[in-house]
Amino acid sequence: MIVIVSDDSGGNWGTELEEAVFHTGNHVVRFAANSLDIKPCTACGNCSGKTYGRCIIPDDMQKVLPKIAGCRTLVLISPVVFGGVSHHIKKVMDRMAAVGNPRYRVNGGELVKGMSGSGMNYFMVGIGDKLKETQRSAFISLHEENRKIMSAKGKAFILDEGANKASMIKIAQEIVHEQV
Amino acid sequence: MNKSDMMLLCASPRREGTSAMLLRRISSVTDGELVYLPQRGFLDEMVQTMKQAATIVISGPCYINTYPARLIELLETASSMGGFYGQKLYGIINGGMPYVHTHRHGLTCLQLFAEQNHLLWQGGFVLGGGAMLDGSPLEKHMNHKTVVPAFDQFIRHIVEGTPSPEYLYEQLEPCYGKILTHVLARMLTLRVVKHIKKYGHDPNAPNWYLRERDLENDRVDPV
Repeated sequence: MIVIVSDDSGGNWGTELEEAVFHTGNHVVRFAANSLDIKPCTACGNCSGKTYGRCIIPDDMQKVLPKIAGCRTLVLISPVVFGGVSHHIKKVMDRMAAVGNPRYRVNGGELVKGMSGSGMNYFMVGIGDKLKETQRSAFISLHEENRKIMSAKGKAFILDEGANKASMIKIAQEIVHEQV
Repeated sequence: MNKSDMMLLCASPRREGTSAMLLRRISSVTDGELVYLPQRGFLDEMVQTMKQAATIVISGPCYINTYPARLIELLETASSMGGFYGQKLYGIINGGMPYVHTHRHGLTCLQLFAEQNHLLWQGGFVLGGGAMLDGSPLEKHMNHKTVVPAFDQFIRHIVEGTPSPEYLYEQLEPCYGKILTHVLARMLTLRVVKHIKKYGHDPNAPNWYLRERDLENDRVDPV
């Protein structure tokens, strides 16, 4: 299953990618983070202790987490905001700790963690017009660090706000191709 | 510098955590005012406070390689409201992993925010291994002999209003060898496993959400 979490407050990018992935014959589920009630992580620590693997905040993230926990591929789509993602997408990312693997591993000589389950693919699609190189490189480096810390495969893409359908189809094909 | 001139903004939801501890260390030698980022509600008032300060120091934890969502929301709100005029901005980000690159995006994010909104980026400080402190004084840090003087030097830059160079925190990154890294991974894992078991959970069980999904699938309606 491919899970798409998008911030569609400025466009229909999530819907377009969902459609493009659907036409490859893959099972895809999409959440529009900007339309959901998702509260910020409170760092209560329950998901790594008292309620291990489960977030106790009762909001729409309870619909998203089961899908992320069971997915093979996660795709986040967001406007590029200060070289990162919007707060709508960041709230989802922060709450993903509940489905992370708490164990430490060594990869490339460094300590890393991982996600529950095995072999997740992780993609980020950044949207923005006339982005400076500093913004683009920051967005790509954020994905790279996320990928490392999650022990995941995948890459980051950056599109103009007016990206056409063909761009989404191309990204969908790359995402599907990378599935392990 | 007057009290209202310096805003020490804690971007962590935990008021007694490491992010707040680092700001209290700054407030002990300055007249900076410690304020906590509200975790709910509108952020317009907080933006107004930011605009009134001559110097803003933001300290927050690293969640998945950058600052938490609520701070991003504040920056988005501040950017949409506008009205900044050259306030000096410093950043501090702390996280569990000992590597600078794991947390550096937070500072890059603040720098880009400053550049896009007419604030003056003055540099920041990355504190690896900071999460383990859990709010304890910096002197309890595993590398306190190098971390304490470097952070205090960072504070001097804030007090003097000068840019803080990256090498202050970059020099702190430990160079663990291959064997020690494996030992560390083992020790840290044992610690988290022990913590999970303390609450009666099986650390090897599939994630709770997957178990719930399977139970849901197995559930058969009574005839």
